[in-house]
Formats: sequence, structure tokens, C-alpha cells
Amino acid sequence: MERIGVVLGSREATPLEFWVGVEGEGLLRLDDLVVVEGYHPKVGQVRYFGMVDHVAKAHEGQNFDTDTFLAVEGKIPVSLAYVAHVSVTRILPEEFFPPDPGSPVYLAQGGDLELALYYEAMRNQRGSTKLPAGLLKNGEVAYLNLEFLNGVKGGHVNISGISGVAAKTSYATFLLKSLLESGVLEDAHQAKVLLFNVKGEDLFFLDKTNARLTEEARKEYARLGLPATPFGSVAFLAPPKKEGYLPDVDTRLEGVRAYHWDLVQFAQRGLLPFLFADKGALTNLGFLVVHVAEKLRRLAERQKGPALLVEDWPGEDLPDGITFDGLGRVRLQSFAELVRYLEFKLLGPESGEGEGDRGWTARQARGTLEAFVRRLRASVENVGHLLRGDRPGNPPDPLKGEQVHVVDLAKLHPQAQMFVVGALLKDLFERKERGQYRGRVFIVLDELNKYAPRDEESPIKDVLLDIAERGRSLGVILIGAQQTASEVERRVVGNAAIRVVGRLDAAEAERPEYRHLPASFRQRALILPQGSVILSQPEIPVPLLVRFPFPAWATKREEVLEDNSAEALRRELF
Amino acid sequence: MAWRLYALDLPWQEAEEALLRGSEPEAFHLLEEPWEARTAPPQSWPEPLYFLDGRERAEALISDGERLALLGCVAAGTVVWEGGRMRLLPPVVRRVGVGLEKPLAVGELAYEPVPAVGEGLEGLQEGLRQARAGLERALAKELVEGLLVVDGPVRAVREGPVLGYIKTHWARYLPKEEEALLRALAPGERTPAFRVRRKGMELASWYLRLPLSPEGVRPPESGLLRVETLLSGDFLGLADLSLGLFPALASHPVKDPRAPQNLLPVGGLERELARRMGSREVVARMLARHLGR
Repeated sequence: MERIGVVLGSREATPLEFWVGVEGEGLLRLDDLVVVEGYHPKVGQVRYFGMVDHVAKAHEGQNFDTDTFLAVEGKIPVSLAYVAHVSVTRILPEEFFPPDPGSPVYLAQGGDLELALYYEAMRNQRGSTKLPAGLLKNGEVAYLNLEFLNGVKGGHVNISGISGVAAKTSYATFLLKSLLESGVLEDAHQAKVLLFNVKGEDLFFLDKTNARLTEEARKEYARLGLPATPFGSVAFLAPPKKEGYLPDVDTRLEGVRAYHWDLVQFAQRGLLPFLFADKGALTNLGFLVVHVAEKLRRLAERQKGPALLVEDWPGEDLPDGITFDGLGRVRLQSFAELVRYLEFKLLGPESGEGEGDRGWTARQARGTLEAFVRRLRASVENVGHLLRGDRPGNPPDPLKGEQVHVVDLAKLHPQAQMFVVGALLKDLFERKERGQYRGRVFIVLDELNKYAPRDEESPIKDVLLDIAERGRSLGVILIGAQQTASEVERRVVGNAAIRVVGRLDAAEAERPEYRHLPASFRQRALILPQGSVILSQPEIPVPLLVRFPFPAWATKREEVLEDNSAEALRRELF
Repeated sequence: MAWRLYALDLPWQEAEEALLRGSEPEAFHLLEEPWEARTAPPQSWPEPLYFLDGRERAEALISDGERLALLGCVAAGTVVWEGGRMRLLPPVVRRVGVGLEKPLAVGELAYEPVPAVGEGLEGLQEGLRQARAGLERALAKELVEGLLVVDGPVRAVREGPVLGYIKTHWARYLPKEEEALLRALAPGERTPAFRVRRKGMELASWYLRLPLSPEGVRPPESGLLRVETLLSGDFLGLADLSLGLFPALASHPVKDPRAPQNLLPVGGLERELARRMGSREVVARMLARHLGR
């Protein structure tokens, strides 16, 4: 054991925190872990484990700041004090009496470090549940208890940090890598991941080796027990271009599938409410939305699609280009046509002051009906390419096929983003609820503040709340991220057992959402370098500052390692 | 009868200068001509350069019914200037019982017996001062080479050069006429050296003026320092050196009530010694507990 100093007597030493005077050439930094032995004849030996959260040097006994100038000029003798504040993480055995001033302080290494960070308690009947979560300052692996992530004791991860430097997505993908490939999660092969790509096309190269991966980073992966490889089984899904069926992506040209829903799926699955993701959902309009969704579901019963067939649309009101099926039913082939149909059903024929179909209007005032139609019409431009009647739908299905599904939202209008996220999560959650898939499902969603805002109601927020509150028992784990946790619904953040904080904005760091961090960590969150995050987990009373390795997978086109082997070329050409 | 606490506080007087009877102005003998202010070009300081100082503190007066004894603490330490840095050498702290015959242990404190010098309370106090002086002498003996600067008059002969400096001026060394020059000295100037005889020692002495900002607010005498050294050495060289040494180390009145004469390194040393002597209150409480009242 390396002796580093003594417990100070000039400041209070308590069982929960004390100060250490560093002696001689000793080095004590923030985040270093130390151990102190205390003794009392009545309880015997007690060991205090703690983490350094403040270090300071000062010329002691100098009353004047300008005395430092004199010391530098060699005019007065000075005594340099090097002190550190330690927050106790653990006391063994649990006897809360203070350590004696003057007790020697040692650096916690090896077994002591494991005790200090409760690693030895991270296990269940089947073995260790230590999930590699990054590297500590001293190069040792930082672990988090998998049982707090996979839903056994707790679930969900919440990541905060400002855009660009906080590396929210990078840490989320690193965590996924660890979950899927460290071997700690027992049924990792059954786990499925749904990743939403919200900006750029960062996640579109998860399956490509990163050309900028250094030897050093490889060693870090080795130390973490993870292969320095890209993700093996990934499906990439992007919305189609507004014209045609090709996926709307710029940088990745192969291996991306376009996704859309057909009108029958839209009607059968009751996805209409996700087009109304605003405050209006709580008024009469909300009631009407639910009612119309139900009418559509009944209309689509036993239909195969992709087009939705309707019988009760008299010929004189039909727009041009409408087609009929063999029985003379009108074939709705686009979302715009569906909107026209709903307009007819709710407001009556265009010509004249007619009334709508009473079965559909649900006795709502004409103003409400008109508002509904207006909103629906406005959404045609935004979601028309995602809801089609001319081709069988192939919405993303994260429970089938590849292990990881990346669903692109970056280029969609916010309304369309809401729709896709809401529709997918609802579908996924319902299927898990019905027990249609056994493995765990991890959902990575950035910009939670948009989907589960603190002050507004929306159908998507309801789904997210459902996942946050019930998901962990159903095996649906949300890895959510946002710039500012203060703008996200409290219950969504509050249900996350694991909290991760990257670089924060100074004003944001002072908000109550970050009070789980000690003051020194909040201060450090302002200057966190890229590739470092602060990790809080329920079992360890202090957060850990961890560094995670450079991604082994490419995060943009330029990083993709070109594979020029004969095999790869053959695959590409034939 | 056992020793009992008699008093924790005793009437205390600043008597450092009292033991210097000052040589008579009549015996005034000039060592440099003419009697006018002198300056010197700056010189580099000799290395190592030692500053030696001691401290004493009376802690309690005790009585066994017949006699009084004075418990006190004496400390001495050295600061050395070497390689551009002031460094503290390990100081010596000792608890002494003036007038005791046997060592006395009071709780964790151990007082060594030292004799009183003279009668009554003053004799005890003098004994404490002598104990301090003895400690200083012992420390000085270990300092070979270099220049030694002591707080107070030069008391002992030493191998190398030694400078003593006197901060307060109760004793008069100059005839009336010559004293006028003291008021005319500008900061960084000194008087010519003159001879001082004391207790069989032949010393050279001179006054110098320390900077005391802001200039012109206080009387000119307030920045005066009297420096002395052995007449047998190169006293003129040391006199010129002192002009570059003491003004540079003069303390600032904002930080030290005894500025500018209380030199910076010595001020630091005194703080350190006081610290090592322990808290006055804690010691007093220990004595009260063990010796009762």
C-alpha cells in the first residue's frame, strides 16, 4: 500500500468526509481513491474508503496574499500545504465514528479499490454483474452494476450534456457495445437495440471499422475486455425521399433500407394520434382524434393494403386520379387522399354547407372538426412520404432481423419525427407487453426534451412515460439523452437508475436535476473534455469520472476504413 | 509540598534593550571620516546567509509554598537564504522551569530545570532570557561559513562574520551634534561606522535608514536600524553590504506592526517558532488542570 499522507486535525474529520494532508512527494488528484484505517477499542478496526473530490495547495500561516511575492523573491520562508478533501464512499464494518487525525492515508489500489467502489458487491447468483463502463483516471476499469441497467434492480440510462462536445451519442453507443459484447449481459444475443439517428448521419457507419482508431485505443478496449470492432449486426433504415422510394441519405449509399407505413397499417395500428403531438391533444380535438382513429381501425379491418378501400365516397366529390377496385370501392393511394376522404366524412361534400357523417363527427362542433381537418391537411407535406397507399408498408421492426436497428430521423420534419418515434415505440412496447419477444430491448433516443417535454402533454410522452415507469419490468430499457435534463419530464429522468453527465452549460449545471452530483462535480461538468463523462449509479455514493475509448466504429464517411480486399470487391461487384 | 500553580499571567516587561547599557556618548570614537551620510553600490548577498532568532514565553508562575519558579518555553530557529530561496532549518523548542531543582512533568509537558539569574521575579525572568540566549548560542555554533544575522546585539564571537541589528533605540550612542545626521538620513543611506564597547567586546556600529512607505508621514527616526559587528572583522565591507541587505528585507507597515525594522525572514521565523511552542491557551489549560489552583 502506498502511503500518501495523514488525516488532518486542523479541520474536522467525520465518518463521511475528512481532509488529508499530502506528505512529501505524494500525489493526490481529484477522483483518486484512498483508504484510511481507524481503530477504537470498543469496535476494533474500521476502514474508511473514500474518493478525493477537492485538492488544494496553499502557503500556510501567510495572512497576506502578497506574501507569496515575498516568498518567490526568497525573502520569507514559507510552508506549503497540500491538502485534499475526501468523501467517504464506504466504511467497513459500518461503524460511523470519525477517523483519528494523524491516521495514515493510503492510495486504494487493487482489492481496496474494488471495495471502495463496491465492485465486489456487483454480483448475483450466476456471477459477476460488473459491466465495463469506461476507464478511471488511474487507468483502472470503471464498472457499473448491470442489474441497475437491465431492469433487475433498476433500469434506464439518462445522459445529459451540451451538443457537440458532450458525446452523448458516443457514450450511448459505447455502452451498447459493452452491453452486447462484454459477455456480462447473459442473453446478449437475444437483446435488440433500436437507435434513433437524430442528426447528421453519425450512426450510419456503426458496422464499419474506424480508420482513425489508434493502437492506444485498441489497448483501452482490450483493458475493458471489449473487442475493438464495429457492431456486427446492424440494419439501417431511412425515410424515403419525398419523390420515389429511395432512402433519403447522403453519405451512405449501400445497405440502407427505406421505411414507410402503408395506409392500412396506419389505420389498423391506430397511429393517427401521433400526428397530433401537441397541446391540443387534451381538448375536444383530442377526443375527436381518438374517435376518428377508432373509425379508421374499423374501416381497415380485414383489408390487406397497401391502399385503403372505402365504399362511401360518392363519385361527384372525387378528385382526379382516383382509382377503383373490382367491387367499385374507392382506392385511397396516398395520405393526401386519405385526408380528403376524412374531410368529406367530417365536413360533408365540398359543394354546399353540408354536414359530415354523424358516425364520424362524434357530435363535435364544426369548429373542432375544421381544426382537425386543418391540422391534418398541414401534415400532408410532412408525413405524406411516410404514409403511402401505393406500396406495401415496411415500417422498421426492431424485434426482427438484425440485432441493432438504426432508424434515421434527421431529415424529417419535427412532426414526422414525432410520428415515427411514437409509432415505433408504441408498437414495440405493446408487443413486449403481450410477450411477443423474450429478449431485452434497448432504445436509444436523443432529444428527450422534444419527445417528453416537462410542461406539455403528447401521446409520445405517454408512451415514453409508460416505458420509463413500466418498461424495466417488461425488459424495455430506455437510454435517453438530452441537452438539458431540466426540460425533460421529471418522471422520465427520475426513473433512470444510471445517470450520465457530459459537458454542461454553466446555468444548466446549477439546476436541481443535477443535485445528485456533489458541487465539485457540477463544477467539473463545465470543463469536461470530450470522451469523459460523469457516471452516477445507485450503489456507489459518489459519481465516477470515466473516460471511454475512441469509437471503434466509424462515425462519419471519412472515418470508414476502406476494405479493398478481393473478397470485399467481389461482394460489391457481384 | 508539591508545586502548585501560583499565576498564569505575570507582569511582563520588554527588557531586551535594558541589558545593553549602551556605551557612553563621551567615549564616541569615529571609525570612518567624515561624519556624513554614505551609500554603497548594491552587492550580491553572501551564501549561505543565516538569520537567527529566538523567542521566550513565560507560561506560569508556580510555588511550593516556599519558593517561586517560572515555567516557560524557549525556542530558537534559523532561516537560511540559499539559491534564491528562504528555507527554515529545524528549530529547537524547549520547556524550562526557572528555579526548579528537578525536572517537572506536567501532563505531556516536561520542564527542565534551569537556574534563576538574580533575585525575585526579575531573576526568574532573566533566567528564562538566559535560557533563550543559550539556545541561540548553541544554534549559532552549528552554523559554519556564511554570514550570520542575529536579532539583537552581537553577544558572542563566531568564526565567520556576524551582523547584529537593533530595532529600538533606547540607548544613545551618539553625541548631540552627530545625532542630527540620523534625522537627515535618506532610505538606503547609513552613517559612518563608530566604535562601541560592551562587556569587553569591541564592536563597530552604524545606523541605517530603512524604507518606510509612505515616505514622509512618520518621523525620520522611525525607520532607523542600528547594526553592529565585531570590530576585528571587515566591518567596512559589511557596512556597505548591509545597505543592500536590510532595506531589501524590511517589512511593510501594513503587515507588521514592528515594520520596517522587523525583517521579513525573521517575522516568518517568529511565527513559525510561536507555532512550535504550542498554543498558549492549550498550555495554560493543561497547567491549570495538572497543577490546580
